[in-house]
Amino acid sequence: MAARKLTVVISQSQGKNPAKQQLEESLAVALLSEGNVEVSLVPHLYDLSADHSGMLFLRSIPGDLIVLSWLYPRGARWILDRQGIRGHEGISQLTSRSEDPEDEDDHREGNGNGKPKHEQPVSGLTDLPNRKIYCIDLRDHTDSQAYLDEIRRIANEATLPIVDLVSLIQAQPRAEQLEKYLHPLDILAEQKSATPLSDDDDAPANGEIVRRRWYPVIDYSRCTNCMECIDFCLFGVYGLDTQGLILVEQQDNCKKGCPACSRVCPANAIVFPGHKTPAIAGADGEVGDMKIDLSKLFGAPSAVELAARERDVELVRDGRDAVGLEIGIPRRLKDKPVKPRDELDDLIDSLDAMEL
Amino acid sequence: MSDLTFLMGKFEARIPTDRLYSDNHLWLQPDGESGIYRVGFTAYSVRLLQDVYFLEWSVDPNSAVYKKQEIGEVESSKAVSSLFAPANGDILDFNERLLDDPSAINTDGYGLGWLFRLKTDVQFLKPDEYMQHLDAGWEKTQSLIKGQYN
Repeated sequence: MAARKLTVVISQSQGKNPAKQQLEESLAVALLSEGNVEVSLVPHLYDLSADHSGMLFLRSIPGDLIVLSWLYPRGARWILDRQGIRGHEGISQLTSRSEDPEDEDDHREGNGNGKPKHEQPVSGLTDLPNRKIYCIDLRDHTDSQAYLDEIRRIANEATLPIVDLVSLIQAQPRAEQLEKYLHPLDILAEQKSATPLSDDDDAPANGEIVRRRWYPVIDYSRCTNCMECIDFCLFGVYGLDTQGLILVEQQDNCKKGCPACSRVCPANAIVFPGHKTPAIAGADGEVGDMKIDLSKLFGAPSAVELAARERDVELVRDGRDAVGLEIGIPRRLKDKPVKPRDELDDLIDSLDAMEL
Repeated sequence: MSDLTFLMGKFEARIPTDRLYSDNHLWLQPDGESGIYRVGFTAYSVRLLQDVYFLEWSVDPNSAVYKKQEIGEVESSKAVSSLFAPANGDILDFNERLLDDPSAINTDGYGLGWLFRLKTDVQFLKPDEYMQHLDAGWEKTQSLIKGQYN
């Protein structure tokens, strides 16, 4: 029996970085010659509106899916989830050049299928369609070969046929829209030949307007439905669904650049995929190397101070009054209990041991 | 008056008495007219950082800043850290020579290794007050370092 087709979707970078475009293109070209892989390009995933044909196309894919994007996998996964593109989390074995592969393996196993370590998630992991979605970060490697190897590995892994009809039903792209994504090289060619009207970075990649957006996505594998975000955000971004589950309801009410709610989330479940801080943009676990972060020592404000200040800036910009720490700050953060300190054990040893 | 010394394990961090200090471990030395200070890392900071490799500022010269506002980043052999304004005021300019080669922070932290000039009317800590601040925070600093290593 023939192997089941695997769909690879390349989500394009937001800007016009030639190195990024080059990687996207070389991947698209190489994948077109793979027998059991379908390849398509869509504009940057985060910016796509729900009715953009790229999103409709993504929703129309019934089977296993690999999404290559310039986003942390966790960011990409929950952007897709918010758009109704769901499946079991496929675990990529691709590790970035800078990371120790063994550590990474341990880590990913621990987080397999997005299971939280401490708290129970409220929902979001049930009734998933019987297929896998692999999200891969295009920033992990600069060379296309590493991605091709991993895609082939996944393609081999994904040869068991499955049946899933549910995800087909929601929204079907029109035939001519679909066509664009079934012939990705045409998109590339169009982009190249198109005379740029302006230097606008937001110029559509495929004829449909794609503007840069800014909004949070919720990682439901971590979210405990504690409601701290809905209390904290004064811009009406959050809402509840009919089951009482927290939801990013008015995405575009969100204030560009403001990640404040993410800082107050006790479960680190709010991801701003476009934020410069990896932990907020959805990087998993510890980021960086073994270096000490002395930011606290040098006067870094606490997360809640920072969040309140960021929120105040946006309130004032909207002509409203700053509220500081008065509104929507969880008591948990207000009356912080004094943490038991480490024993003052042999300080000289410990410091000298690290050659401080 | 001779310099004060704060003991970090066996290391003696020198705290000169000819200047003032901020609680985020910067020294401030009056520079010409009143309310203008030259600002740099204290020996305590430098000891924790060790060799500074890279220094970058995220605000422009002549910018108003507020206390705890993020103004830049430092990377050293031991640490990466964001840097924050010590008080409300205006940052007038930065020590340009550090941007190419920040090694003066290590070789002459209280002199050529100054970071920026700040105009402010805020009161800062006197040397003995900074010593008390170091004493009070030393245990916590060790926890911070160990916590991140363990």
